[in-house]
Amino acid sequence: MHGFALMTDTNFTLDTPVERSSFSEAFRGLRDALPVMLGFVPLALVLGYQAAQKGFSPIEVPLLTGLNFAGGSEFAAIELWTSPPHISLIVAITLLVNSRHFLMGAALAPLMRHLPKRKAFPALFFMCDESWAIGLADGRKAGSRLSLGYYIGVSISLYLTWVVFTSVGALAGPILGDVRRFGFDMAFPAVFLVMLAGMWKGVSAARPWLVSLVVGAATYLLVPGAWYVPVGALSGVAAAFFWAK
Amino acid sequence: MIDPMNFLTILLMASVTYLTRIGGYVLLRNRTLSPRAKTVLENAPGCVLITVIAPNFVTGHPADIVALGLTVAAATRLSILPTVLVAIVSAGVLRSLLG
Repeated sequence: MHGFALMTDTNFTLDTPVERSSFSEAFRGLRDALPVMLGFVPLALVLGYQAAQKGFSPIEVPLLTGLNFAGGSEFAAIELWTSPPHISLIVAITLLVNSRHFLMGAALAPLMRHLPKRKAFPALFFMCDESWAIGLADGRKAGSRLSLGYYIGVSISLYLTWVVFTSVGALAGPILGDVRRFGFDMAFPAVFLVMLAGMWKGVSAARPWLVSLVVGAATYLLVPGAWYVPVGALSGVAAAFFWAK
Repeated sequence: MIDPMNFLTILLMASVTYLTRIGGYVLLRNRTLSPRAKTVLENAPGCVLITVIAPNFVTGHPADIVALGLTVAAATRLSILPTVLVAIVSAGVLRSLLG
C-alpha cells in the first residue's frame, strides 16, 4: 500500500509543512470539544453523586474517573459497587463495557502510523468515545493522519471536565439532587447522534448501524448487564464485513 | 479516605480499561489492511456509537422516546450545541408534561 500511487497522491502534504504548531492545534481541539464538554457536565455530576451514595469518598471519585476515564464502565461499576466491592464482577463488567475500545483503537491505528510508540501509548490513555470520534473524523479529513496536538486538545479538555465534574458531583450531589429530572441526561445520546450524523454516508452505508441498533437494543432488553455493548457493536461490524465488496 | 479494597478495584478497572484502549492499536499498528478490512473498520465507529445509545431507543417512557425523536431530527440538521439544547429542553419539558 506504500506504492507509487500513494506517494504521488500525498506528495503535496508530505513535502509542505502543513502541520500547524501543536499549540494552535490543541486550541482548535479545545474549541471543537466545548459542546461535548457541556454534555459531559450533567453526566459527570450524576456519576459523582451516585458514587458518593455508594460510599465513595471525595478522593476516591476522581481516583476512579481519572485513572479509568471511561464513563460507561464507571456507571456500570458504581451500580454494582458494594462494601467491600465484588472485584472480579466489577473488573469483568469493565472489560465487557470497554471491549468496544479494541475496535476503536483498530480504526484509529492506521491514522497513527506517523506517531512513535512513546507518544501513541500515552495518547491512547485518553481515548474515549468522543475524543476518538472527533479525532478520527478530523484525521480522515486531513489525509488519514491523526493530528496529535488536536487530539490531545480534545482529550485533555474532556478528561479534565470529566474528572472535575465527577468530583463536584460527589461533593455537591446532595444539594443538586437528581439532575436527570431536568432532562440533562439526554445530552449524552444527543452528542452521539450528532457524531453519527457527521459520519453519515447514505442509507446503504448505514445498514450496519441499523444492525447494531436493533441487536444492541434487543440484547439490552433480553440479557441483563452490559452484554448489549459488545454484542451490538460486533453484530454491526460483522454485517459490514458481510456487505463489504 | 481511600479504602484499600476500593483502591485495588479501581486500579484493576483502570488497568483493564487501558489494555482495551491499546489492544486494537497494538494488533493493527504495523499491518497493511485489505480493502475489505478497511471497509469494516470504517463502519466500526458508527456501530460502536449507535450501540452505546441503543438502550435510549427502547426505554419505554413516552416522554423519552418523543424527546429522542426530536433529538434525532435536530442532529440531522443542526450542529452539536443546538442539538444538545433541543435534547435537554425537550426531555425536561416532556417528562414534566407526560410524567
